[in-house]
Amino acid sequence: MLEPLKISAQEDTPSVVLDKENQVFEIGHRSLPENAIAFYEPILNWLTEYSKDPLPKTIFNFKLEYFNTASAKQLAKVLLLLQELAKNHDVLIRWHYLKDDTDMHASGIRFSKLLKVPFEFIEM
Amino acid sequence: MTDNLSLDFVKQLFFLMQDHHLGYIYKGIFTQEVTDTILSLTENKLEKQEESSKLKKRVYNILVEALQNVTRHQASDVKTDPQHDSLFLIQKMNNRYVITTGNIAPTQNIPYLQSLIDKINTLNKDELKEYYKTILEEGSISDKGGAGLGLIDIARKAGNKLIYKFVPLNGDLSYFYLCTVPVLEDDVPKGNVGIAEFHFVEKIHEILNKENLSIINNGPFNQESLLTLLNSLEGQMIGSISHKKKVFYIVVEMLQNIIKHGYIPSEYDQHAVPGIFLLGFAGNFYRILTGNFIENEQLISLKKKIDKVNELTKEEIDDFYNESLFNFEGSNSKKTGLGMIDIRLKSGFPVQYDILPINNHYSFLSLQSLIAVE
Repeated sequence: MLEPLKISAQEDTPSVVLDKENQVFEIGHRSLPENAIAFYEPILNWLTEYSKDPLPKTIFNFKLEYFNTASAKQLAKVLLLLQELAKNHDVLIRWHYLKDDTDMHASGIRFSKLLKVPFEFIEM
Repeated sequence: MTDNLSLDFVKQLFFLMQDHHLGYIYKGIFTQEVTDTILSLTENKLEKQEESSKLKKRVYNILVEALQNVTRHQASDVKTDPQHDSLFLIQKMNNRYVITTGNIAPTQNIPYLQSLIDKINTLNKDELKEYYKTILEEGSISDKGGAGLGLIDIARKAGNKLIYKFVPLNGDLSYFYLCTVPVLEDDVPKGNVGIAEFHFVEKIHEILNKENLSIINNGPFNQESLLTLLNSLEGQMIGSISHKKKVFYIVVEMLQNIIKHGYIPSEYDQHAVPGIFLLGFAGNFYRILTGNFIENEQLISLKKKIDKVNELTKEEIDDFYNESLFNFEGSNSKKTGLGMIDIRLKSGFPVQYDILPINNHYSFLSLQSLIAVE
């Protein structure tokens, strides 16, 4: 079984839980690291590994309060991997946003329009 | 709002602050939140400077007193003339902290205030203590309560003379600048910061009034100082949550742009990028401004990038954002970065810039982004 990847939130980096055994896939809090590429690298590697032998259904939760544009590109990479996975498996993106946070809601809508993977929007 | 607007004052403020070792300026209404933010910002700076705990405590205590003094004496009308706003500046010069505050005072009170400060400045530590008691017992100072006591207390805590200047505004009101340089007992008081030193404070104050600026942070910038600045903005901005958030988005992109692309001239500390951040108002807009050095060889491509996002319609920017979002080429590509596109998108207004040459090698770049106050 693939080892879970757990990262706790810092002031400028998000919390991450990627746990196949317990079926938890989640990125939360805020993301504005200086080096977004380095931060997201292990996440992308984990997902690539996971995609080789995934669960029948993957529900991925984005619970972000804020992300900068450098993180946006890395989130796009995460979502591209999930889109790839969705070709042969059941994948659902749950995009959570804080009530009244129109920017975060709009970011989710933007991704959902650009990708072929089902999105569900949930107000936090 | 046009693109070819002069942002020369950004450069002017940067060099004034740089020359006088000014890290931070606030001009506006002093609320509890604003005071708390200034205290934590300064505490943060003091921690990093590895000062003796005695000096830290002393600076901190004076700050508390000086900020209370300003809060107590600020114009009571909230919708006041920005010229009447209170002011706070902190400098670090030759291992000393210089704390300057400013607030309006009725011109009729000035002879009293002046004689009070002159008297305070003649007294030694024990005499100040006695004088404090006398004034406390008389309890007759001002209708706002304890104007004199605040000043005596600042003098006692500073262990140094108070430096002041009054500038008449109009018939009824004057502006009162008060400057304190805390010293320790075993330190020889360096009294002569002199009235002349107020020239630059007045110069800066004049620019702040003219441009309606409220918060100024003189870098240097790195990820750590960016986070400190972001935290401080939360306590100091007025407006709704969604507004604060928009400002937050734009500030992050503008400052991370500086951290990534700003040039560090050799005479500056190479560990962080020199630059300046300003927040102010222009009519119904927030104005967010930054200034930093940039290498001349980057100017042409930078101008192209900004001009390009400025020319696009709202729909076109949206498409441009989507295209850039999924473009994973190196960040040094010739393409406009997602950051600049995002600033333009969130602001809804063109990104204004002004490039002022410094020498053959580098220039000073000022950027302004506007956000409409709904």
